[in-house]
Amino acid sequence: MLKIENLHVSVEGKQILNGLDLEVRPGEVHAIMGPNGSGKSTLAYALAGRPGYAITAGKVTFEERDLLALAPEERAHEGLFLGFQYPVEIPGVNNVYLLKAALNAARKHRGLPEVDAFEFLTLVREKMKVMHMEESFLSRGVNEGFSGGEKKRNEILQMLMLEPRLAILDETDSGLDIDALKVVANGVNTLRSPERSIVLVTHYQRLLDYIVPDFVHVLVRGKIARSGDKTLAQELERRGYDWIIEEAA
Amino acid sequence: MASSLATRIAEEHAAASAAGLPEEVVSRERRRNAIETLESEGLPTSRDENWKYANLRPLEKVRFAPPSTTASIRAAGAVAGAATAPKLTAADLPETVAGYARYTFVDGLFAPALSSPAKRIGVSVTPLRAAAGPVTRTEGSNPAPATNVPLRPVAVGEVVAAKDARFALLNDAFAIDGVSINVSAGTDCATCIELVFVASVESQNGSSYPRVELYVEKDARLGLIERHVSAPGSGPQFVNAAVQVDLARGATVNHYRVEQSGAKAVWFDTLSAVLGQDATYKLHGVSVGGQSSRSTVHVQLAGERASAAISVASLGDRQQIQDAFVLIEHAAPNTKSEQTFRGISAGRARVAFNGKVVVRKNAQGTDSQQSLRGLLAGPEAEIDVRPQLEIYTDDVRCAHGATAGKLDDNMLFYLLSRGLDRATAQRLLKWAFLEDVVAQIEVPELRRQIERALAGQLPDADALKELL
Repeated sequence: MLKIENLHVSVEGKQILNGLDLEVRPGEVHAIMGPNGSGKSTLAYALAGRPGYAITAGKVTFEERDLLALAPEERAHEGLFLGFQYPVEIPGVNNVYLLKAALNAARKHRGLPEVDAFEFLTLVREKMKVMHMEESFLSRGVNEGFSGGEKKRNEILQMLMLEPRLAILDETDSGLDIDALKVVANGVNTLRSPERSIVLVTHYQRLLDYIVPDFVHVLVRGKIARSGDKTLAQELERRGYDWIIEEAA
Repeated sequence: MASSLATRIAEEHAAASAAGLPEEVVSRERRRNAIETLESEGLPTSRDENWKYANLRPLEKVRFAPPSTTASIRAAGAVAGAATAPKLTAADLPETVAGYARYTFVDGLFAPALSSPAKRIGVSVTPLRAAAGPVTRTEGSNPAPATNVPLRPVAVGEVVAAKDARFALLNDAFAIDGVSINVSAGTDCATCIELVFVASVESQNGSSYPRVELYVEKDARLGLIERHVSAPGSGPQFVNAAVQVDLARGATVNHYRVEQSGAKAVWFDTLSAVLGQDATYKLHGVSVGGQSSRSTVHVQLAGERASAAISVASLGDRQQIQDAFVLIEHAAPNTKSEQTFRGISAGRARVAFNGKVVVRKNAQGTDSQQSLRGLLAGPEAEIDVRPQLEIYTDDVRCAHGATAGKLDDNMLFYLLSRGLDRATAQRLLKWAFLEDVVAQIEVPELRRQIERALAGQLPDADALKELL
């Protein structure tokens, strides 16, 4: 599904990722953990194609295609979804407009006709129920005036609508209370399937109690310093990151 | 400075005057005063502080006198028989808005055949030109005023700083018709009147002078739509509107103004409003048309607790010029004003907004807010957003924000990451940018029409329309 080889990324002239390797196969859930500044969000943005994230070396293959050669919208069409750590507020663009436009863009790419208005609303309502969101969400501006938790739920709602093949969720747990965390985790879990992969970028182990990963990787200074299964996350929770940082040095 | 332009205007006026300009529309004395001031002061030039963005060059080629009245009457469909001017039909006009009685003016002249007047209790709508006579009279105890009775000692142009009101003087000099609207005390007509001004004459043959005098008496409420359009397929035009708004104590007016002139029209406008105690004036301006458009607005908050909200959306594309100057004058205690401007400049257009707030010495307790934002949507486009403040008292609250910039990269990336193609994402963001102004249009039907007009002006708008 996703193969990252020797990825080097710099932001504003500063080297952040220093030869990162990672392979994600269909159906797998990978957690990327690591101390602040280790390059977790940079990895997420670089994969989604954010401008300003310069790839200085390396290769990323997504579903047999050269991911780095694609524009951000093409990556989305191919089935990549980035759940933002800080979802952007866009006053004046209704949530429902965005959902519909995004869904139709994906359908167009697959050669399908635009979604029927009734079908669309039925689908949105069903997904909103999963995310414990009220109907009034639809007519509000995208993330406009949303609380931190509402923004994160909205990200997952978009993901549920778009049904990506690879979801990269950047600190989706930050700023959530325990109830919201459960709702978000449940939303993500409904999407788990043998064809779909998820990369969770997180600082804390807490989220991984609810979305249980197949693999856990620790990022230190732009490289994966250690990989393991879910027990690695538990060990990190107990011991912190320092011992890995020392090992990496 | 008596420029050659001013001299030519005076000459044209002398000729038009000899041929007969209706005195009941503007008195002979007032016309003479206007011409004398124009002769001595000239029209504004780009060297004048508040006029540096206005497009004044096309004036050199304009014939300022109104077209021969008969041609316009024919165009207005008021006279049957052979016509030298093309006859307009209702299909050439903007869609109507349910509940609003339509009054259409062609080249400034009332066109009964294109109007659908309706009786509104307490509201009289009277063309200024005597021949036409009153269209609807007030029912009951409150007779319509005789045409052109000075409503209050305030007239178009008088309250605007003289320097900036010279285009109103030009209207004074040449206007051949207009409309007087009087809303009697206590009348509630929230869904009421629509004025449609159609320019049909081309500027080498003459100019259009739309003219509105609005008086809303004590505690009355009025909803007014005012549109400016051009006859289909029209060439270069010069339109110079003058609007006077007078709100008595406790009066409320929702005034929607849509400028959608033809692509070759040069449009000028002077609006002055005076608000009495506790009066509320909401002005919603949308300007998308014309080769160039300049609006000069002066709102005077003359009575205690008067409140004005002025919101303007301007869109410029190709080589259009959209320029607006809005002056709000707080002249009484505890008055309130809000200015909202959203402008988008694309292509090689220039969009300018100059929002000035003056707080007079006696206007303690003033609350004034300005939110002015310009969006640059092309490498060759230009946008100028200028807030100005003049405060002569201490006890004021003024919140002012002005920005001009490009589309937000974070927003754009967010939409792209959801699979929207770049063109759609950019259109959606431009649309969202105008939303602060569009959302305030409280008439759903008009709002949809305006949304369509704005969408039509955004390049390649088809995809966006699907989202509406």
